[in-house]
Amino acid sequence: MKTRRLILYLLLIAFMFVYLLPFWSAVTTSLKTGRQVTMTTPVKFVFPPYFGAYREAFSELKRPMLNSLLFTTFATIFSVMIGSMTGYVLAKLLKGSTSKKLLIFITLGIFLPYQSILIPLLRIITKLGLYNTIPGMILTHTAYGVPITTLLFTNYYYEVPDELVEAAKVDGANPLKIYTSIVFPISIPAFVVTAIYQFTNIWNDYLFGLVLTRGEEAMPATVKLANLKGSFVANWNIQMAGALIVAIPTLFIMIGLGKYLIRGYTSGAVKG
Amino acid sequence: MRLKFREESLYSLLFLTPAIVLVGVFIYFAIVWNVYISFTDWKGLIPSYRFVGLENYRILFHDPVFWTSFRNNIILIILFVPGSLLLGLLLAILLDRKIKFENGFRTIYALPFALSFVVTATLWAWMYDPSDGVLNTLFSMLHLEFLKSNWITDPHVALYAVILALIWQFSGYTMLIYLAGIRSVSSEQYEAAIIDGANQLQLYRYVVIPQLKKPTLSAFVVLMVFSLKAFDFIWVLTSGGPGTSTFILAVEMYKETFAKTKFAYGASIATVLLLLSFAIVLPYLYWSYGGEKE
Repeated sequence: MKTRRLILYLLLIAFMFVYLLPFWSAVTTSLKTGRQVTMTTPVKFVFPPYFGAYREAFSELKRPMLNSLLFTTFATIFSVMIGSMTGYVLAKLLKGSTSKKLLIFITLGIFLPYQSILIPLLRIITKLGLYNTIPGMILTHTAYGVPITTLLFTNYYYEVPDELVEAAKVDGANPLKIYTSIVFPISIPAFVVTAIYQFTNIWNDYLFGLVLTRGEEAMPATVKLANLKGSFVANWNIQMAGALIVAIPTLFIMIGLGKYLIRGYTSGAVKG
Repeated sequence: MRLKFREESLYSLLFLTPAIVLVGVFIYFAIVWNVYISFTDWKGLIPSYRFVGLENYRILFHDPVFWTSFRNNIILIILFVPGSLLLGLLLAILLDRKIKFENGFRTIYALPFALSFVVTATLWAWMYDPSDGVLNTLFSMLHLEFLKSNWITDPHVALYAVILALIWQFSGYTMLIYLAGIRSVSSEQYEAAIIDGANQLQLYRYVVIPQLKKPTLSAFVVLMVFSLKAFDFIWVLTSGGPGTSTFILAVEMYKETFAKTKFAYGASIATVLLLLSFAIVLPYLYWSYGGEKE
């Protein structure tokens, strides 16, 4: 029994090395000079560490990181608010087949391959004068966030006892009042899970940013990172530093708030 | 009472409006528009809506690059989907053995999935770099020269290298799904099986795994749909190359549409992708909504 436990832990640790290897070599490489990158083994640290690659990568990524932070924050707030309002109606105000049909209508978009709306999306955003703007990115990410946020909130509100809402109704409260004074406060956990999920998803997006932005004014960090690949071809230290900088927000979320993010993933969520 | 009812419908409508407008315009209207574009001759930056019927599809089905992309998509599905499911199941079973630091291991395995595909593609570009990259250097160090490869610069290896990295990124996700599934098996069933004299292997084979049908199916659909729309990772890592060796439909769609500005042609590839994903998702939705009917 003892040896079996030992083998189990050895297996887990072996897998840990496999999963961490790309991160590990990124960290070591990001702390080297260009010469050290080619002269030393990628998995080994050099001493003293060199921070120039981070300075260089950060000066390129500063503005795109701010863009991403800005539109991700607003699109998260909007998509979560809309998801909550819609979920409330679908789970508590409407009943039966209307509610079910509307739920399917809205959440079918979760499985949508974005390629199939990409050209019209570009036309709509351009027509609205929002090409290469932060509001354009906010609008886009809000719209495509609604299916998943609606699903997460509807499922959450199904679990809320109807009596809670009914009692307030008898007391003469209107649906808006019930929403703000009862439903909203008890759904804070759902807000946390959905917001963290949305933030990660929107921050990580590449395709929309690639098609809907061009200049630095609205370009997301992910698009800029991909561009660094072209402008710093063999400068692996700068590329790795850039990748780690762009990964920081979601890495922190996974490490610090992983519990909530995992709940988002396991309650029927999708990526990409 | 009647007034009350009207008031409630009014609020319902008000609350539903943003979602219905956004989904209506950005999803349904956009889908229809895209299909319409695929029937036109729109080439170049200025939209043209001259109707040409199925002409784009006729060209598409005679385009060898389309069939290469299609074939690569099939290979991707055949290897990536079961690969991610099996590895995730293995990790979940390993983690389900009352492990110390379970949370730590779980976070590490799931870490790649929380990252942008652009980040992971950048990391894997360095892993796979043939001259100084991580894997080849590591294999030299460990005297495992026979494992060295040109990875993403070798047209015979590139697609498999891409698939391997994607399994690395998605197995953490399937692990999470399976772990939640395993944990929902009731302890009575465990105890009953143990009383019946089942060993650990039999316990999983006959008690746990048969109950993982639902999580398997939902993860299966997620992975299948992802295989169709996987663009970010491949585009950043290989741009479809070398040659067309890592082209899949989503990559071809982007290249035709935005690099060659053949919008109508790109729209026809997008429509094929949409139909393929319908073929996967609709039976699943039918099954999951039908199965839950009271």
